Amino acid sequence: MATTTLPRPKAYDDTFFKPISLWLTTTDHKLIGIMYMVTSLISFVIGGIFALIIRLQLSQPNLRIVDAETYNQLISAHGVTMIFFFVTIFVTGIANYMVPIMIGARDMAFPRVNLLGFWLIPVSIILYYCGFLTGGGLNAGWTGYAPLTEKAFQGHSLGVDFWAMSIIVWAISGIMASTNFLTTIVALRAPGMRFSRLPLFVWAQISTSILLLIVGAPLAAAMILVEFDRQLGTQFFTTAGRPVLYQHLFWFFGHPEVYVMILPAFGLISEIVPVFARKPIFGYMSMVAALFGIVFLSMTVWAHHMFTVGMNTYVEGFFMLMTMLIAVPTGIKFFNWIATMWWGSIDFTVPIKFVFGFLATFLIGGITGIYLASVPVDTQLHQSYFVVAHLHYVLFGGSVFAILAGIYYWFPKITGRLLNRRLGEWNFWTVFIGFNGTFLIMHTLGLEGMPRRIWTYSNEAWAATNMIITISSFLIAISILLFLINVIHSWTQGEIAGNDPWQGNTLEWATTSPPPPYNFERVPPVRSFMPVRDLREAGELAEHEPVPA
Amino acid sequence: MNSRGPLGRGARLLIALAGIAALVFVLSACDLGGVHPIFPDPVSANGKNIYDTYVGISLMAIVVFVGVEAALLWVVIRYRRSAQPVGYVPPQVHGHTGLEIAWTIAPLVIVLAIAAYSFAELQKDFQPISNPQMTVIISGHQFGWDYQYENGVVVHQEGSLAAPVVPFVVPTHTLVKLQFRATDVIHSWWVPAVSGKTDAVPGYDNFSWLKIDQTGQWRGECAELCGAGHASMQIIVQAMDQPEFDAWMAKQKPAPSPSASPSPSK
Repeated sequence: MATTTLPRPKAYDDTFFKPISLWLTTTDHKLIGIMYMVTSLISFVIGGIFALIIRLQLSQPNLRIVDAETYNQLISAHGVTMIFFFVTIFVTGIANYMVPIMIGARDMAFPRVNLLGFWLIPVSIILYYCGFLTGGGLNAGWTGYAPLTEKAFQGHSLGVDFWAMSIIVWAISGIMASTNFLTTIVALRAPGMRFSRLPLFVWAQISTSILLLIVGAPLAAAMILVEFDRQLGTQFFTTAGRPVLYQHLFWFFGHPEVYVMILPAFGLISEIVPVFARKPIFGYMSMVAALFGIVFLSMTVWAHHMFTVGMNTYVEGFFMLMTMLIAVPTGIKFFNWIATMWWGSIDFTVPIKFVFGFLATFLIGGITGIYLASVPVDTQLHQSYFVVAHLHYVLFGGSVFAILAGIYYWFPKITGRLLNRRLGEWNFWTVFIGFNGTFLIMHTLGLEGMPRRIWTYSNEAWAATNMIITISSFLIAISILLFLINVIHSWTQGEIAGNDPWQGNTLEWATTSPPPPYNFERVPPVRSFMPVRDLREAGELAEHEPVPA
Repeated sequence: MNSRGPLGRGARLLIALAGIAALVFVLSACDLGGVHPIFPDPVSANGKNIYDTYVGISLMAIVVFVGVEAALLWVVIRYRRSAQPVGYVPPQVHGHTGLEIAWTIAPLVIVLAIAAYSFAELQKDFQPISNPQMTVIISGHQFGWDYQYENGVVVHQEGSLAAPVVPFVVPTHTLVKLQFRATDVIHSWWVPAVSGKTDAVPGYDNFSWLKIDQTGQWRGECAELCGAGHASMQIIVQAMDQPEFDAWMAKQKPAPSPSASPSPSK
């Protein structure tokens, strides 16, 4: 923690308050990164409001707060917003900001592709919500299984068409961003920044980009075929066609997408843990190998979402085995993180609290994943509230906790100011209790037989559990409100952070907070995967700080 | 250094985690106002085997869960800065090949064991059966299920949220082959007390079976989002002893056979 108040570097202190024309046209990866992150947080709030309405509707049996059709649109919009417009966009944004700085580059390799890639995201979001103006948005869940999305079952609304177009635009944007990240990391590394010295967050971004590059196109293909069916009268996924083919195409994207959302989170955790434990990451090479193990395995497991469609049992056995094998690289990462902290001297700041929140909850998501991978058990748990609880343990307990850790960790670098610590503590404890209160007992609903995506239920036995879940979900909402207040307040009023408030290891801590448009006056020498720590120990850190203009 | 309250932050984390762990154990130990931590008591042979697989995986899962969460707690308690001597510099360990290999192999052994165990159950209960004593064609549609018996009798189980739906009746001690179809969108037939769910997909027949050895009624629901009436697609399975079943069947009106319907004029 910075205890001294440093003078603010005048030229860079107004990162956000720039003319609108600059925001619209900038190719600066940092400003684009901020726009990605702000866009995604707005989506987070919107998707969260959908979730609260869903929880109100389910709080008691036979409620009529919304009707069935509205409910189906709400769950679809909640899923699409959180997955496509919040988590994926946030991790793209924070990588857009940090990856070039962490490898000592001045900007991304293709700044104008970066500009276009970002602006496709608001286009994609607006396209999706335009569906609601046509009589109803997508109402088939975020997965949009055919043939429910086909014209015969959709009435006159165009929600499905706008969803399909939105996802096509989104996939193009993702492919652009992935190409850009890979090129940047291969071509623009600073002298001395060998691949064996890349920060693990950058390695995570390499693996994420490879994944999205491979699976983005099949997603777009699935959406194009849906549109062919709806607008040109083809029969790919209709009742007379092959509806299961849609599931194969969708999940060939959909499962790796889970890793597109969690690998950057792994990268964040791998950056934060060594800094606050004051120890180097344990097993750097096995961490990198585990990332690529996950990349490979994640593309061989998609049909585990389809164990009830009636596949050959040997095919099911294959997908079961590959799915369970993902526990091996994930276990390596888990144990390496614990080993990094073992014998350490852990400073319990807010970011590391969120890291512990991540480790404690993501573990549960990983273990329930083994249940779901087992074909016989999955036939019971599939499409039930057990799955809803599992996926929220992975996406909220995993990705979102890591994202919050990352925000508390890098906010000082991005804005020059620390987030308020007291509000941060409240944020952590309320979201940790609220999250577990919501999703831990949700597992039992699934075991008792409550299917997901039902708009109401008549079984009184589920009432008490649902009420506890709804109350806890509002605790999460209060916590996120505290977080947003903290971000907005600290952006202008927070304690000045200085260049290196946490005594970090990686290059971003060698430049000013926020960094100048060109990132580094002189790129510091890179002699290991912890270049800034090397400089600090050699007493050379100060001379590599750029002079504020 | 940071000021700390009388109750250290790590201690509060410890209490919260202990609370969650306690909640898990309480939930798995007793029945709190309808909160079952495990499936409803399985009544069909395949459902029982799925339940056993679930319990088998749980044994390993609980060991892993408790072990890793305990390690995390130990790290929080022992290696927090305030628990270390002033000026403590952690050893700069970069890794340990033996340890890294150990925690590659340990999860591998566990998941291979779970996969083998699950695969054995998969081979046992999820193969198409060739010796059914009875076959029922279950056809899903928006929004209800039709059950067609071999003698042509069809039970229409139309979806309803308000009233109990018409039960699907099977005789006890009988191996019933279930053949699933869908006429519009995908549905999924799920009665947790009987066994796992099976999708009814347009275009091909999907299979499952049941063999219930006790009389009773069990509830289920459609598990695949199929439109606005999805939640109303309730299912009730009723098992009767053979004499009652025969009496019940005698009261059902057989559906008009296709040959009896007038052929369309050409």
